[in-house]
Amino acid sequence: MLDKMLYNTILSQAYSPCGKYLVAGNIYGQLAVFDLDNIFNPVVEQITSDYNKPKHIHSLESGSQICSLVSTDKFLIAGTVNEISGWDWKAILSSKLSKPSWTIKIQPQSMIEKCDINCLWYKEDEGKLYAGCGDNKIYAYNLEDGSLVSTYEGHSDFVHCLHSNGQQLISAGEDGLVLLWDLRVKKSYNKIEPHTNSKIARPDIGKWVGAAALGDDWIVCGGGPRLSLWHLRSLDAVTVFDIPDHGIHVSFFQDDCVFAGGAAEHLYQLSYSGDVRVELPVSATTVYSAVYRTSPHKVLAIAGSSPEIDICTSFNYRDQVLHFR
Amino acid sequence: MGKDDVSTKKRRKLNTTSSENTKQSPTDIYKRVIEFEETEAQLRSAEKDSALFKKICQDVRQLFADIAELKAKGTDEAKEKITAKRIEASLHLVALKKLNRLEKVRTRAGRDALHKEKQRVDSTHLLLQNLLYEADHLNKEVTKCLQFKSKDEEIELISLEEFYKDAPTEISRPEITKADEHQLQLARLEWELRQRRELAGACSELVASKERVAAAIAAARSRLDALAPHLKDVLKATKPLQECLALRLDEKRDETRAATLLSPPLFLLYANANAYSDALGSKNISVGISGDEDEARRLDQLSNVESELVVSNDSDSDQENNDEDQRDSKKKRHHRSSKISKEEKAEAKKKEVLKKHPLNVQVTITNSDGTALNLIFSYMIHLKIVVVKFTMNFPKPITGVSAADVLNGDCVLNELYVGDTGNDSPHPATAYLLKAAGISENFPHFIPEVGKPYIWAQRMCGLDFMAVSVDTQKCNKNFLPCQSLSVASVENFIFTLKKRLRARIDLMKELQDLECGKVLPAKGLSCPVRLSGSLTQWQTVSWHEYSQALSTSFVISEGLVTPDNMLYRAIITRQSAKLVAMVAVSSDYPKQAPIFSLTLHWNGTHHVGTSDDIRDIERVINTDWQNTEKKQCTLSTQMMKLLTCLDVLLETMGSSEFPPDKVMLQSIRGRNRMKPYKYLKQGTGIFVQY
Repeated sequence: MLDKMLYNTILSQAYSPCGKYLVAGNIYGQLAVFDLDNIFNPVVEQITSDYNKPKHIHSLESGSQICSLVSTDKFLIAGTVNEISGWDWKAILSSKLSKPSWTIKIQPQSMIEKCDINCLWYKEDEGKLYAGCGDNKIYAYNLEDGSLVSTYEGHSDFVHCLHSNGQQLISAGEDGLVLLWDLRVKKSYNKIEPHTNSKIARPDIGKWVGAAALGDDWIVCGGGPRLSLWHLRSLDAVTVFDIPDHGIHVSFFQDDCVFAGGAAEHLYQLSYSGDVRVELPVSATTVYSAVYRTSPHKVLAIAGSSPEIDICTSFNYRDQVLHFR
Repeated sequence: MGKDDVSTKKRRKLNTTSSENTKQSPTDIYKRVIEFEETEAQLRSAEKDSALFKKICQDVRQLFADIAELKAKGTDEAKEKITAKRIEASLHLVALKKLNRLEKVRTRAGRDALHKEKQRVDSTHLLLQNLLYEADHLNKEVTKCLQFKSKDEEIELISLEEFYKDAPTEISRPEITKADEHQLQLARLEWELRQRRELAGACSELVASKERVAAAIAAARSRLDALAPHLKDVLKATKPLQECLALRLDEKRDETRAATLLSPPLFLLYANANAYSDALGSKNISVGISGDEDEARRLDQLSNVESELVVSNDSDSDQENNDEDQRDSKKKRHHRSSKISKEEKAEAKKKEVLKKHPLNVQVTITNSDGTALNLIFSYMIHLKIVVVKFTMNFPKPITGVSAADVLNGDCVLNELYVGDTGNDSPHPATAYLLKAAGISENFPHFIPEVGKPYIWAQRMCGLDFMAVSVDTQKCNKNFLPCQSLSVASVENFIFTLKKRLRARIDLMKELQDLECGKVLPAKGLSCPVRLSGSLTQWQTVSWHEYSQALSTSFVISEGLVTPDNMLYRAIITRQSAKLVAMVAVSSDYPKQAPIFSLTLHWNGTHHVGTSDDIRDIERVINTDWQNTEKKQCTLSTQMMKLLTCLDVLLETMGSSEFPPDKVMLQSIRGRNRMKPYKYLKQGTGIFVQY
């Protein structure tokens, strides 16, 4: 039998607060800690052949897939199956991972049903953690005491992605809906259904929306339907991006551009008008996570269904490849 | 001289007391005169006489002077004076004469005395010499005596304490010997003599007994030599008895004789394999020797002769050979047919280098169901390696093309041990030897005609090429067959080969089924769900075809599949969907599970590089992620899993072509939209995600 790490899939990544480390979580329940200093400021005499391998690989006790990661100043928060755990950064960076500092458990409907915590969003000013889960709900927890603050119900299938710009929250789900939420209200106040738009829909891929993000005035979303840009207030589809993909799982706004990736050979950097600015080749068959950081170095880490993580420092080409093996 | 001294003047001057009578005989007078003179000479003092002499001389001179004066005057008075003076002078002369005579006598007396003294001294001296000589002689004698070492001191004697302890008292006589050293020495010598006599007696006795024994041995030996022809006759006589009782003794003896003619590595192999054949029974493994015995005997004799030559006259014979060769080649150049002879020479050289020993060892390993692998081991004399040729025997014919391939001897023996493909000679010197013989092709070129030089074959014959890797100069001499290596290797080999045969036969059966499109589950497990897809094709593919497929580039780039593996293509169809699976089965099956690379043709082409769904299915089949069964994964089991996964995938696509048939808890889960490939035996059976 082959080594399962050949078929490694990384679902989530997060940077450490100082920006020196990149943590990646995969479907086997492992967390890999990469030292980015080795990549960006290598000391020539100390370069070893495994400089692009993880510094540590921690295996979680439960062994269930790590669906989402988010980093706060104190903790690395990981959303796995049925629970959200937080570790102290010191524990993550040490060679042996101890038990999490805290765990929030989410009760699924039945014994065999598993509830994935598909996406996490941390609101720093309020100390609240928002989790979009596989039981079609979005939960908000208070991180001071771990208590459930509110539940947002609206999706009829599991939640793919969450994004917030402070006051509003946007969520994308498998049911093909992109819902807009006001954080104080339990019901969504608006929704978009990209698959109903004939120009955007791709029925053979599906109606699921894999990624959605909020800009100043814009919403970008995609998934089974094509990647498209919508105006926030009027909810009109302004631009439909024509990229050769089979499903968008990642999209976000950055520097007046839209980044999007998924089941495609490239990660695309697009202008608002629909022009492709950069096509970044990726090692993964499908990109599930692309995280961006500006300090101390400008770096974009792209990961997905591959044991390799692509590191780009300028967004024109792939700079380095890290190996999660 | 002393005769004229009868002058009166003299008597006047010399007042001596001579009272002798002058009337005695002249001889007496003569004697007396002499005595008188001698005593006179003694009595008078010499200095006075010399003074007198000088005075008289002076007087005479004076007288002469006066005479001369007077003569000058020439008067008569003067003449008288002259005469008087003359007479005085003559008297003086007489006195002078007397004095002279006295002097002479004195001198003579002195001389005589001297002479006498001299003589006396001489004789004393002589006496002294004599005495000295004698003293010296005596000294020498004394020292000689003192230095005398008698032979008795050279004899080693036992120490004093032992002597007093051992010797009987009549010899040792302690009372006397302790006091007298000489006696002690004598006693010790006596004791020594006695002991030596005794020992000499004992020695001669032993020599005699030794000779008797030697004679007995010689007699026994001659009897034994006479025995050998008797034994041969006895053996011949037992032949009819053997045939009657059907014993194979003769054949065994023939084989053993043939075995002695085998080359050393093959002999080791024969001996060990024979041992295992006896232990395991000849229906599991049987050993035999085939080939030309007479050739072997000839070769043996040749090599003996050669080795003798080498031992006796190494460098000279080489030189001779070189000279001969040169002469031969010169002769050949004169002939016009030199070109042909070069080719022939090259051919002959090639044949020579690739020559095998005429005797081969045949080992047949049989499986319990009758499949047999027949191995023929030959030894290449010059290249010093063992090569193997093989044939397979099957009890029943095999149906199915790919199935038959699997039991091809080449395939069965490929990579029996890791890395041992038998494609090149393991001997480091082979390349050099081939080049030295002028052959441009390297050894793998000759493998089809001579056989494969598997490393396990070398090890079974005791040749270990791994040991000497550094010292390439002595490589021809260092590879002597090692017995312990052969023993260990043969056992290992037999069991490994049997295991491999069994595994291959199982694989062959599986492949036979697969070729017919039957996917049967492993014994004991039945398929839990109804499978709608079916296996429509199974065939062997070449490496070229395999590497052309897009789906295989992933495993090839990771180095998981090599051209040595057995490669197949399976096509599974369900209605309009076609799943093409490229399967790579390693030589080690079923220890290493086969590797699947999938391509789905439905709504486009999907493979591991383009579709996560296909990648997930590959993960389920190829890896043991969350695999609860610890059993080895067979091809059929994997095919079943593949069929199940395909069904699940197609049914979750939401297409009308494939209505959902299986019970799934959640058809799609997670951001990576995983399909449920895992089967849980709850209720009627339910599929969940991993």
